[in-house]
Amino acid sequence: MSIDEPSLARLMAASQRGDRAAYRALLGDCQKWLARYFARRIAPHQIDDLVQETLVSMHRKLATWDSGRPFLPWLAAIARYRWIDMLRRQRDEAELGDNDAAVGAEDDAVHARISIDRMLGYLTSGQAQAITLVKIEGASIAEASKICGQSESLVKVNIHRGLKKLAQLIESE
Amino acid sequence: MKDASIDALIDGLATDLKPVRPQRVLRGGLWVAAGWIAGAAALLWTFGMRHDLSAGLAMAPLPMLAFWLIAALGAAAAWSALRMGLPAVGRDYSGWRWAGLAALALPLSAIFIGFGDTHGAMESMRPELGMRCTIDGLIAGLGVGAALFAWLKGGAPTSPARAGWVIGIAAGSAGATAVGLHCSSNDMIHIAMWHGLAVPLWGVAGRLLLAPLLRW
Repeated sequence: MSIDEPSLARLMAASQRGDRAAYRALLGDCQKWLARYFARRIAPHQIDDLVQETLVSMHRKLATWDSGRPFLPWLAAIARYRWIDMLRRQRDEAELGDNDAAVGAEDDAVHARISIDRMLGYLTSGQAQAITLVKIEGASIAEASKICGQSESLVKVNIHRGLKKLAQLIESE
Repeated sequence: MKDASIDALIDGLATDLKPVRPQRVLRGGLWVAAGWIAGAAALLWTFGMRHDLSAGLAMAPLPMLAFWLIAALGAAAAWSALRMGLPAVGRDYSGWRWAGLAALALPLSAIFIGFGDTHGAMESMRPELGMRCTIDGLIAGLGVGAALFAWLKGGAPTSPARAGWVIGIAAGSAGATAVGLHCSSNDMIHIAMWHGLAVPLWGVAGRLLLAPLLRW
């Protein structure tokens, strides 16, 4: 099913008026859109949690969508905020988990604008490689260390510094 | 299992839905204008207007120029802060920076004037002659600061740190314009330093004190 901007905007306008059926449909569509949006940005095992956090944030901030403006850039701004928040938490907790490979996602205009690939271009090659291997492709620290030739501690440091810089870059976009 | 939990969440959120009144920049702008007027009116009602204005004359050229430069910075910062409450990827919130660059004309002019009259500059910089204006400006900016903080607290600023800065700059500028209507000094160094100081002080306060409260 394609999720198009005019339909989402109509559902959102109805939701702001208190239409629960429209809101349920909107949340379902947003769930699919967000899952695609996060698929290229975070490890697969974190997607559901982040989608749920974003839906809750969206619910709390319903009044901040202006019906005279497109819906998806608004949703993307909230998703990006939650994503940055998660990057910060990961940096703070130095939580370096193991997981499986990320799935591909469809491109669209909003995705392309803040694509992780473009953002990784601002990092050093060591940082970008460490984050790509561990946080996006789901390799363990040990596996990443073997693949990129960095020591395990250097991989951790590069992920920590890279995530910090990424959060700053995304926020300043 | 995960699908089931997301479905349950969606059901819960839909059940919890209540009609909301969309936030409008215009409504927020009216609150900011009210805060600006209230801050200035309180200062002028308590301490009075500058001599030329209270005599029904036009403000002297230099303080008038400073007043409008600072007012433009305040308006641009307030507009940016209001827009930050309604997020969207791709939106530009940087308009206030150009007004900030233009307002740098004040301290730069003061520096060059100071080079030409060092003794006069030192006199103008004495805290006992100017600190009061800064304090008045800080207090007079409270109305705009409170209005913007309340707006952004109810909004969804996606960069709380930047929002804190911009609230502070708007509030400081509003306070400085109020002081400009009260203080009778026509001295550029006094205006740039003691009136203008409210802007960076409020900016730092916004960044340090308000930004953490704007996270959501």
